[in-house]
Amino acid sequence: MLDLLAYDFIQRSLLAAALVGALCSTIGVFVVLRGLAFMGAGTAHAAFAGVALGYLMGWPPLLMAILFGLATVWITGWVEEKGRMKLDVSIGILYTATMALAILFIGLMKTYNAEVYGYLFGNVLAVTSEELRTIAGLSIVVIGAIVLFSKELYFIAFDQEMAEASGVPARRIFFLLLTLVALTVVISLKTVGAILVFAMILIPASTAYQLTHSLSTLTWYSVLIGITCSVGGVLISSYWDIPSGPAIELLATLFFFIAVLLSPKRQRRTLASS
Amino acid sequence: MTFRPLIMSTPIIHFDHATFGFPGVIALEDISLEIQSGEFVGVIGPNGSGKTTLCRAVLGLMAPLKGHLRIFDCACDELRCHHRAKIGYLPQKGVVDRNFPVTVLETVMMGRYGVLGLFTRPSEKDRQIALEALAHVGMKEHRDSALGHLSGGQQQRVFIARALAQQPKVLLLDEPTTGLDITTQHHVVELVRHLHDELGLTVLLITHDINMIRSHVDRLVLLKTRLYAAGPPADVLKPEILSQVYGKDLVITERDTIIVEDYHHHHH
Repeated sequence: MLDLLAYDFIQRSLLAAALVGALCSTIGVFVVLRGLAFMGAGTAHAAFAGVALGYLMGWPPLLMAILFGLATVWITGWVEEKGRMKLDVSIGILYTATMALAILFIGLMKTYNAEVYGYLFGNVLAVTSEELRTIAGLSIVVIGAIVLFSKELYFIAFDQEMAEASGVPARRIFFLLLTLVALTVVISLKTVGAILVFAMILIPASTAYQLTHSLSTLTWYSVLIGITCSVGGVLISSYWDIPSGPAIELLATLFFFIAVLLSPKRQRRTLASS
Repeated sequence: MTFRPLIMSTPIIHFDHATFGFPGVIALEDISLEIQSGEFVGVIGPNGSGKTTLCRAVLGLMAPLKGHLRIFDCACDELRCHHRAKIGYLPQKGVVDRNFPVTVLETVMMGRYGVLGLFTRPSEKDRQIALEALAHVGMKEHRDSALGHLSGGQQQRVFIARALAQQPKVLLLDEPTTGLDITTQHHVVELVRHLHDELGLTVLLITHDINMIRSHVDRLVLLKTRLYAAGPPADVLKPEILSQVYGKDLVITERDTIIVEDYHHHHH
């Protein structure tokens, strides 16, 4: 297994996986706690529609993905704020509509384009040096913003109205969180794919949630689990020659179920009911 | 009707013919009320009388449709009041997810976040303020406990400590005793009274439970969309005044206990 590490492409993909794992699991803490889990999935499909349109029209796919992703999160955030309809309804509608657009754009292409499908399923082993630089740059921006606004992000995740009432600009922080979710999804698209990026955001934070009652510990556990799963998944995928996306995702799911079984919260519940 | 101090100081909260709600749905109408610094005011009224709207208004979360509301002599019409951090707020139980993975100290530290403002990290000094707030409510030894593992009364104490960590001038409590047993209800109100006396706080306590607070407050405000009465409890809690708001549902027993019949929270 160690000889694998000598290959350039393995080094690149391990680094990309570690970055994406850290990024998704950090933003995931706030997504899970603020109850925006479904939004990650909706954004991923919207971003994929952006990629498809980019390839169809010859526009830069990553830029189109960012535009589609941002439009989706801002519309859903605005709808939630207005309270016109439930968040899951508005995301559900946008989710399916953007997926329909993606299928439409792919259908309009004259030829089969394998690269587009790469964004759907992701392939971390095919990450180029240039893509790695983009991932690294955007990851630093997103993680930097999370660190900078961490106390406000925690507060609105706990209770947005209480945060607003005690002088935190809660609305602006909420839209910042939505923007960071969209950027995270777009950054992760090429490596884990539109379908699995949602799992990378959701699973590490949910796994950590099983293990602790402290916000700061939860965040560190989540990041640790996120990096471990993505790096572990890449190693497994290259060693056994299986697709990297599913390897990462299934490893994370395995961690989640182990955490559920070992959860101190679960044991306490069992004791309380006996 | 209300007692007017001889030396006119600027009221800390001043409603001037203020109307709140959404166009077509008026929650509070033509409210004029002055709350002086250091007062302990209880706000009572039946369900849907606008108590929570009053709370949101004082928090600066809602601008008046008509009239004015000034807090710390600052117009809150534009929801841009910079003095929000000076109001410590205890939300109604059930508004906050009490199983959120957060420790007691982490919860109380959030009280510092609005005060600190953006880009400032909490320091050791903030930690000391949070611990002091926990000491005030007698929960310091629980600092590392999970919020979700505490009893209802202990959680209320932690949320009061969170409000105190803001080092507020005003303490605003929305139904702080709902869902607690009778003994705990009394402990919570006594704690609030104690904090009022000790820290010189202005307290605004919103409740449906008249008997619980009547002996603790300086002044009662009776609401039902409009302001029906404001004054010392003995002046407000008269059958002829209360019946205007509660109608025939009101029963006053021989021992002077006020029972509002339609109220599902009342089982005793």
